[in-house]
Amino acid sequence: MNVTEELTAIFREVFDDEGIQLTPELTADDVEGWDSLSHVNLIIAIEMKFKIEFTQKEIRSFANVGEMIACIESKLNV
Amino acid sequence: MKSSQNIAFTCTRQPCETGHGNEQAFKWIHNDLSESLFTYQEIDRASNRIAQVLKQSGITPGQCVSIYLPKSVELIDSFFGILKNEAVACILFSTFGESALYDRLSDSQTRILITRKSLLKKVQKIEGDLNELQAILVTDLEAHQDDFIRSLPQLLAEAPDDFEFSAEIEAETPAFIQYTSGSTGKPKGALHVHGGLGTMLDSFKEVFEIQPDETFWCTADPAWITGLVYGVISPLACRTNQIQFGGNFGAETWLEILQREKVNIWYTAPTALRMLMQEEAELFHQYDYSILKRMYSVGEPLNPEVYHWAKKVFGCEVYDNWFQSETGSIMITNKPGRVVKPGSMGKPLSYIEAMILDDAMQPLPVGRQGNLCLKKDWGSMFRTYINKEALYQEKFNGDIYISGDLAYQDKEGYYWYVSRADDVINTAGHLVGPFEVESALLEIEEIVDVAVIGVPDPILHEKIIAFLRLKAGCEWSRALELKCRVNISNKVSTTATPQEYHLVDSIPKNKSGKILRRVLKARYEGKDPGDLSTMEEK
Repeated sequence: MNVTEELTAIFREVFDDEGIQLTPELTADDVEGWDSLSHVNLIIAIEMKFKIEFTQKEIRSFANVGEMIACIESKLNV
Repeated sequence: MKSSQNIAFTCTRQPCETGHGNEQAFKWIHNDLSESLFTYQEIDRASNRIAQVLKQSGITPGQCVSIYLPKSVELIDSFFGILKNEAVACILFSTFGESALYDRLSDSQTRILITRKSLLKKVQKIEGDLNELQAILVTDLEAHQDDFIRSLPQLLAEAPDDFEFSAEIEAETPAFIQYTSGSTGKPKGALHVHGGLGTMLDSFKEVFEIQPDETFWCTADPAWITGLVYGVISPLACRTNQIQFGGNFGAETWLEILQREKVNIWYTAPTALRMLMQEEAELFHQYDYSILKRMYSVGEPLNPEVYHWAKKVFGCEVYDNWFQSETGSIMITNKPGRVVKPGSMGKPLSYIEAMILDDAMQPLPVGRQGNLCLKKDWGSMFRTYINKEALYQEKFNGDIYISGDLAYQDKEGYYWYVSRADDVINTAGHLVGPFEVESALLEIEEIVDVAVIGVPDPILHEKIIAFLRLKAGCEWSRALELKCRVNISNKVSTTATPQEYHLVDSIPKNKSGKILRRVLKARYEGKDPGDLSTMEEK
């Protein structure tokens, strides 16, 4: 599974929605229930799955899913 | 029998009949900050079509129609469409999970639910248990899925844009239900009537004093009493020049809106201000709010530190006020022309009689903390808790309404909030019942017992803390924390998610099994837990 596929599985679990399809342009406005509080759940799930840690600055700076994937890949040295 | 205007008539039809149909009802600002203008005539016609659809769907006066949508024009149109049928509207936060949704839809005996595709999945998990639900109307479904899940656009396309209804109706006609959390049991649905409109508008005029050339922005979601009464009903009825923003909180977005829309009067919440306070000071120098004349806040106490920060940064006075889902409109407030005492909720409105009483309902002297009570004679007061008349009666002692908040009055007549008198948690302006959170946590197989409390928090006013007893052999892990967080977010709501989880060997309870939250709170805060004679820890 690549990062996008793994991340899709995380999004589906966190937002309890099997229909979520990730695209690089996807933002919090496009996903029902993606607010500042569920963002914390998302970050915990991503950090656990990929065994990485985000800085506070990174957590606040993701403008869309594409930036999130790029950040994960950079930490994984993909 | 006393009569009242139908709220929908006052807000949508009357402006059209008095020559204001082509005037702007509101400017809608989308998530991407693009904007659309809506006239009174457009709102009247759109809500007429929804009223027609509901009537053709068999809705009759007094039946409940619920709206499960994020802030949107469809939400506003639906609300007035429901009221035009003299049906009862219930607006539900789009952040609600399936358990929270089920509790409210079943209690209100909702006949029709209006929602959108992205929220439909949560409804479908519980629809089989909702015996009264006759149809779900989906605002962004192109074609009917079946006889139960229907496309609202398809129905609207066939509906005429006129709708006959009575402007004058009996004042006690139910209009909307506002759910609020209790410290025990399920949420309570406070029922409001059309006859409450007069008080809502009186309070709007007395508190905000908005002039015809001024722009008003209320940031609250219409699922919250503030958003409905002061973001939708009052500004439309008073033909206030207002903006509506469909997105969530974002510091830069909000500041951009304040500047670009030249907002003069801004009604928001202390949590939003505290979140803004976390931003770098430099950010606030990038925008111009010199046109902002007054700020208002409601939902939780506005701490003096935040008051002084906001006054300095935005360069205008900040007026905090107090009311509840049950009171239907502002009761106690700071307002122009009255000296503001930072941290105080202000004084009662001109037609409100407030008092501080002890538990025996006797008046307390100035400066003494007690039950904040109101004399029961204002129009917008709730008329009952749906299906819970006994609980409603418990809120009164004769003609005195007992708010459930503790406060004191100073010698100059200002009221100061202290805390809730019960276990309800006020987090980020949302009232959360511990019972709902505990129920969601107990669904997790590793957890055998749980208790939830609220403790002071510098940003949220109160944050939610969970105490957990795990099944023998189970260990706490980050994965289990995530399981707890996700289950609460998806079953109750994101705002109900505890910020901290503490493992305990036992939950302190009294002999009848009631959780002694004061003991947990005292332990958490390192204070004396007080009398423990009734406590049994298992």
